[in-house]
Amino acid sequence: MNAFDRAFRAMRSDLEVHLLSIFSVGVAFVCLVTAMLVVVNVQHVQDRWQHIGKLSVYLNANTAPERINDLDTALRATPGVSGVRYVPSEEARRELMSDHGDDTLAALPEQAFPASLEVDTQEALTFEAREQMAKQLQILPGVESVETYANWSAKLATVFSGGVTAAAVLTLIVLGAVVSVVSSTIRMALQKRHVEVEVLKLVGATDSYVRGPFIVEGAAQGALGAVVALSLVGALYSFVRGTFEAHLTALLGVNISFLPWTLSAGLLLGGAALGAGAAYLSLRRLLVV
Amino acid sequence: MRRGQRFDPTAADRPVLVFDGVFKAYRPDCPVLRGFSLTIQRGEFMFVTGPSGAGKSTLLRLLYAAEQVDAGRILFLGREVGRLTQDSVPFLRRNIGIVFQDFKLIENFTVLENVGLPLQVLGLPERVVNLRVGEVLERVGLGGRGHERASVLSGGEKQRVAIARAIVSEPALLLADEPTGNLDPQLAVDILGLFEDIHATGVTVMFATHDRSLLDIRPRRVVVLDEGRAFDVPQGLEGAALGAA
Ligand SMILES: Nc1ncnc2c1ncn2[C@@H]1O[C@H](COP(=O)(O)OP(=O)(O)OP(=O)(O)O)[C@@H](O)[C@H]1O
Ligand SMILES: [Mg+2]
Repeated sequence: MNAFDRAFRAMRSDLEVHLLSIFSVGVAFVCLVTAMLVVVNVQHVQDRWQHIGKLSVYLNANTAPERINDLDTALRATPGVSGVRYVPSEEARRELMSDHGDDTLAALPEQAFPASLEVDTQEALTFEAREQMAKQLQILPGVESVETYANWSAKLATVFSGGVTAAAVLTLIVLGAVVSVVSSTIRMALQKRHVEVEVLKLVGATDSYVRGPFIVEGAAQGALGAVVALSLVGALYSFVRGTFEAHLTALLGVNISFLPWTLSAGLLLGGAALGAGAAYLSLRRLLVV
Repeated sequence: MRRGQRFDPTAADRPVLVFDGVFKAYRPDCPVLRGFSLTIQRGEFMFVTGPSGAGKSTLLRLLYAAEQVDAGRILFLGREVGRLTQDSVPFLRRNIGIVFQDFKLIENFTVLENVGLPLQVLGLPERVVNLRVGEVLERVGLGGRGHERASVLSGGEKQRVAIARAIVSEPALLLADEPTGNLDPQLAVDILGLFEDIHATGVTVMFATHDRSLLDIRPRRVVVLDEGRAFDVPQGLEGAALGAA
């Protein structure tokens, strides 16, 4: 019987304790997986917004049609601009209403929806160049304001870095939680199997032979805990996606996605390594004959 | 042929075991062994006896390196036990079979698995282990009982399983620490008989007990532990003038 067989046998004979441990590790991992899911999706949104290169040039309510035409022509001639579309007030109102279908919006006067020129810029255009262009447009007659969506990017960047920080803190917490859960499980297992450990040593088992199955058990708890967390969050994710996908996509402008498989695999391996490490450390402390 | 060879191939002509002026104290004011010296030849059967607390278990524990001597030497097959590194202690123990008063069986393992443990540790293939365990179980009178759980056995049966486990890897030396302490007198005699059978196949046996009735069954070498020293009685206590001891 190798260390895996022996570990498997021990886990089967003490199933409740091991399941409890796996579940506890899983709960710790759930927080981390959720935070990572948020970070991954915020990053998608951020990527998209950074490359979207859109400007909205809002026009004064009483701007003459010729003036708008001039602006349109001037914009089209500007280097870096790939397209211009005129959106009159009624259309702006209609677009918003079809998105939301809200009665309060319908009740608003037409002036609440200013006409605009929607400018698409080339992707290669830098953030600074777009800001510069916005400044120049701002002072033109007939222009009320220019939206570069820079605020949006800045907000997303804040959310993103907040998410990364949260994930980092959660990683530390998960680290501690997994180490303490696995350690206490190993301590219990050692207590329960003290005769086995003693006998193994008396019949000439090396330390690594005695430790082997405990380390495998620790690794299994870590890895299975990660699997539990990924499955739980995954199930919740598919429910949310199934129910609200259209809304989320409309809201964020990107399809939401689950953790990439490399990250999931990383979590699983990380869980295994962490469990094995925790087991190894507690054995070093507790296993002396 | 593996007997002893694994540990030291040149040991064939030397005594199996030499205690040379061994001192051992758990507390400085209360030494257990005080210059204990003894030589045991290959193939001997000897009792170690003495009052409770005299240090019989300590003597055996020093031998299989569960304790360290404070002074003096213990030579097993020519090697000094006290100088073994932590890593080589397992290899010492593979040459010593040990039987305890409380059996030390793994209750939720089968008889077969308990007895096979010393061979599993050596990494022998399952088939070889099972074959060898089957033979040994026959020898201790438990043929065909291999698949029962250790927890369902009687005390006497448990001790037979423990003995089977101690001899399954054909060790050079068989140690027993009060192996009959938990058994009724008739069973104790049976178990002693089993040790004698094993001894008859050439194994050196060191049997620690304070049960006088066992010592008197046959004239055997008896070592009495008293005041931390060995009093050697080559032909048993029966008829020997022991004086104060
Ligand atoms: N680990 C230990 N720590 C401290 N003192 C110990 C330890 N082990 C044994 N002793 C003491 O050493 C002395 C010898 O103990 P030992 O167990 O060797 O005696 P024994 O001859 O086997 O006795 P018994 O016949 O009761 O089994 C006793 O006084 C005991 O209290
Ligand atoms: Mg004792």
